[in-house]
Amino acid sequence: MSTDDTAQEDTHVDIADGIDHQVAMVMDLNKCIGCQTCTVACKTLWTEGGGRDYMYWNNVETKPGEGYPKGWEDSGGGWKSDDHSERQPGEIPAKERYGGDWEFNHSEIMYDGSDEPLRPQNVDPEWGPNWDEDRGAGEYPNSYYFYLPRICNHCTHPSCVEACPRKALYKREEDGIVLVDRERCRGYRYCVEGCPYKKVYYNAAKKKSEKCIFCYPRIEGEGPDDAVHATACAEECPPQLRLVGYLDDEDGPIYKLVEEYEVALPLHPEFETVPNVYYIPPYAPPGHSEDGESIEGVDRIPRDYLEELFGDRVNQALDTIERHRDRVERGEDSELMELLQDKNPAQQYRLEVFDDG
Amino acid sequence: MGERSEPSSSSSDRGSDGVRLMRERREPRRDSDASWRGVAALVVLAVVGAAVLPTLTSARPANEVPVGDVGTNATDPTAESWTAVPSVELALASAPSGLPGASNVSVQHAQVRAATNGSHVFVRVSWSDATADRNATDLREFADAVAVQFPENESARPPIAMGGTSNRVNVWYWAGGTTEELLAGGAGTTTAFNQSAVDAQAVHEGGEWHVAFAREAAMAGNRTDLSGEQDVDVAVAVWNGSYGERAGRKAVSEWQYLAMGPGPQGPPYETVLWTVAGLAVLFVAVVTIEGVRRTRGEPS
Repeated sequence: MSTDDTAQEDTHVDIADGIDHQVAMVMDLNKCIGCQTCTVACKTLWTEGGGRDYMYWNNVETKPGEGYPKGWEDSGGGWKSDDHSERQPGEIPAKERYGGDWEFNHSEIMYDGSDEPLRPQNVDPEWGPNWDEDRGAGEYPNSYYFYLPRICNHCTHPSCVEACPRKALYKREEDGIVLVDRERCRGYRYCVEGCPYKKVYYNAAKKKSEKCIFCYPRIEGEGPDDAVHATACAEECPPQLRLVGYLDDEDGPIYKLVEEYEVALPLHPEFETVPNVYYIPPYAPPGHSEDGESIEGVDRIPRDYLEELFGDRVNQALDTIERHRDRVERGEDSELMELLQDKNPAQQYRLEVFDDG
Repeated sequence: MGERSEPSSSSSDRGSDGVRLMRERREPRRDSDASWRGVAALVVLAVVGAAVLPTLTSARPANEVPVGDVGTNATDPTAESWTAVPSVELALASAPSGLPGASNVSVQHAQVRAATNGSHVFVRVSWSDATADRNATDLREFADAVAVQFPENESARPPIAMGGTSNRVNVWYWAGGTTEELLAGGAGTTTAFNQSAVDAQAVHEGGEWHVAFAREAAMAGNRTDLSGEQDVDVAVAVWNGSYGERAGRKAVSEWQYLAMGPGPQGPPYETVLWTVAGLAVLFVAVVTIEGVRRTRGEPS
């Protein structure tokens, strides 16, 4: 959108053909503290054991950094262009790039009084999730990093779905969640190659591919207390940085942040899969001089790096956020700032707006 | 022949050389008698040949996979009984597919042997593969695999690529140690039977896989009947796991047929065709000989 601050009329939401509604999530990267509570919530719920040990359907990685699996951004997949006619070849990352499902000496240290350091047992790993945590980039006093939580993007043009020769992956009609039909899956792993975000995982024990299911039983009301719940990664988040709802819910905050203010952006839009997970880009303080003074006009996090992650639109998004911050500083109102600070769960998780009852 | 055969032919009533007979001014009627007796003998030879020739391995019709007899059991691919079963080498080529790297496959030939012991049918497929990829426990590992495909309905030939919606295929599939019996009606429709009726045993030795499938011969329903009432189409596919081959990225044969119908020499039309072909050759030869005789005979 332009510099216009009010909601535009007649905004058209582009969701996939044949889909009634599209689930969506907005993550505000300015709020992420890298605590991995989302990661653990997801793992505890969905990927403990049974060949899933190495999988993190939700992970939080430090950026700049290699991520999980290591180097996923250069592993291919996605589409060659926005006409979605030809897919980009991709690769299946080696197990070492995900990291192993190591055994740790927790009980020896916690219960048996061992003085050994806590470390993986009987292995000498060289990489794992968060191996480069908090490393980031830049030189003192302008070193920088931020955290990037990642789940499946439940894309509007999912290249994993297109990659499967058996149509074992599909986009659910009612809400656009991308799922693997385990009856149809024969473990060929073209989906793993095809996903540019490397968010489809192969379960070698079950010989099936598996992935984030957007906690569909929870959003369908099969969650704790038989009630509707947002995804576990969202609800368990200590700083509550995630909004969960539907992109085409035009009264919801996700629609406003994505479609109206255009401050919530997809990760790596050049993969052309059109993700439905969006990020409020990190709004960092300016760079510092040697004597610790702020240098106005110099970004602590280089814009070209953010452009690499979120595309050119990140500039406009950050400008919009800055303008609204200034406005609030001057004592004026800003719907955008209210949306970004909202602590009303009814607004944060709008999952029953399309229920017909 | 010619000059050196002259002494013997000159003293004989019937020579095999029509030209020589003409030159010696034999009675035309006797010439004709002799040559027609020769023709009759050749006709008999042609008919007998038509019946016998196809049973010889060297003259096997294209696309036939003969079905041997293995006595009691041939589930072991290294069993001695397999050595007596004729082997057919099939050329393999990449299957048409939109999958990445589909045109790039590594196996070019497979040897197929088929046999029966009355109650069961055995199909043994052998092919070269230096590495035995038995499992897919690593994220980037794929198992070596082989499939034998039959029409669900023996009397019609389905599309080679996994059959069609109205003409499905039965697939016996072995991959790195697991055997599945599948039903498919086109690419991407492969479905496993709840209870597999197919067994398979595999051996990797000397850089070669030998996989022997076994199934009860007479079956009905969605399963191909192999009870020997008619020939049955068959095709094979091979996957080299360490080459990244899986799904539609595979080396496949054309349709062949298991010669298990009535008569050891294949379908009845085959004998007819061989006879017609033999008689045609004979007819041309006789007409030519007669033509030459008359041409040479006229001036005298």
